[in-house]
Amino acid sequence: MQVTLKVYRYNPEKDKKPHYDTFTLEADPTERVLDLMERIKGLQDGTLTFRRSCAHGVCGSDAMRINGVNRLACKTLVQDVGKKITVEPILGLPVIKDMIVDMEPFFENYRSVMPYFVNNDPPPNGERLQSPEERERFDDTTKCILCAACTTSCPSFWANGKYVGPSAIVNAHRFIFDSRDQAAKERLEILAGQFGVYRCRTIFNCTLACPREIQITKAIGEIKEAIATGNLD
Amino acid sequence: MQARRIPKILSFESIMWLFMRISGLAMYVFALTGLTIALIMGARTQMDMGTLLRWTFFPIGTHVTSSDILVLEQWINPFWTIMQYLTIVFATMHGTNGLRMVLEDYMDAGWGVHVLRGLLLIIWLFMLLVAFNLIQTTGAV
Repeated sequence: MQVTLKVYRYNPEKDKKPHYDTFTLEADPTERVLDLMERIKGLQDGTLTFRRSCAHGVCGSDAMRINGVNRLACKTLVQDVGKKITVEPILGLPVIKDMIVDMEPFFENYRSVMPYFVNNDPPPNGERLQSPEERERFDDTTKCILCAACTTSCPSFWANGKYVGPSAIVNAHRFIFDSRDQAAKERLEILAGQFGVYRCRTIFNCTLACPREIQITKAIGEIKEAIATGNLD
Repeated sequence: MQARRIPKILSFESIMWLFMRISGLAMYVFALTGLTIALIMGARTQMDMGTLLRWTFFPIGTHVTSSDILVLEQWINPFWTIMQYLTIVFATMHGTNGLRMVLEDYMDAGWGVHVLRGLLLIIWLFMLLVAFNLIQTTGAV
């Protein structure tokens, strides 16, 4: 089938403002949008710029807006988006070139919620043990790959980049509800602040955008509940 | 499995989040109470629709004296005065906090936000002052 790919282009060294280029190419319905972009870059326009690494939905490098929806280009099949495809960078972060955005504001928010394991007890001889039930409590939020599809689909983040955003909250959730961790209070105090969970308006854009199908809005709700009740179970 | 607990966290944002939900529900309760009791007290035959709705959202004496109701005692008494105060406090705080949230959604932290926040506080206090004055001067028969 013949597919038309309309691609957002911006080269800060040449362009005063962004524009769109349209490419036409033959594609199988089961090919991925990333395959088409690779082919354009290899055969039609070598200047097309985008991030990709594993190309199998694990590294989270190629999050982009495909037909208006945040998706991973490597997990989006042509048959799922049709013959006319529009590809744009994710919203809310400064565009560096074409599909590449500056992820630093995103990672700054991520770092602000202490997304690492804290336990000041002396290390045991073996592992820090945990029951299957305790592990299950935060299983969903361990799946985050930091692709930023959720945060950049959130109108609260578009309006104010200081809001930590769904992704940072998901990664805080992963440690807050970990029975071996000891810094839940510090994280919840950060998230109870001006740019924490209360900027969420529960519109579920993040949940719909997540390529890992994490129940993000539910996780945000659980954090609000933990702040209000102090219960971490 | 040992229960994991931390002390409850009370921040301004968490308190206001809870307040917005409680005040939102409370305004439904106040409005429905005002509407229902007004209908029981004879508003169906002695008030037009506009007056009834004004009473529903702010049950104050002036809304009754401008209608055909002749016996005012049951409409103007301490119960309705308390309802007026509660309605005004909840409604203006709910609205003002909503504006604060919109403001902080779109503005970065800085002196500009502090100035506008202060302005909102002054507007809110002014609205309360005017409303309280209105309640005081028209709250008695």
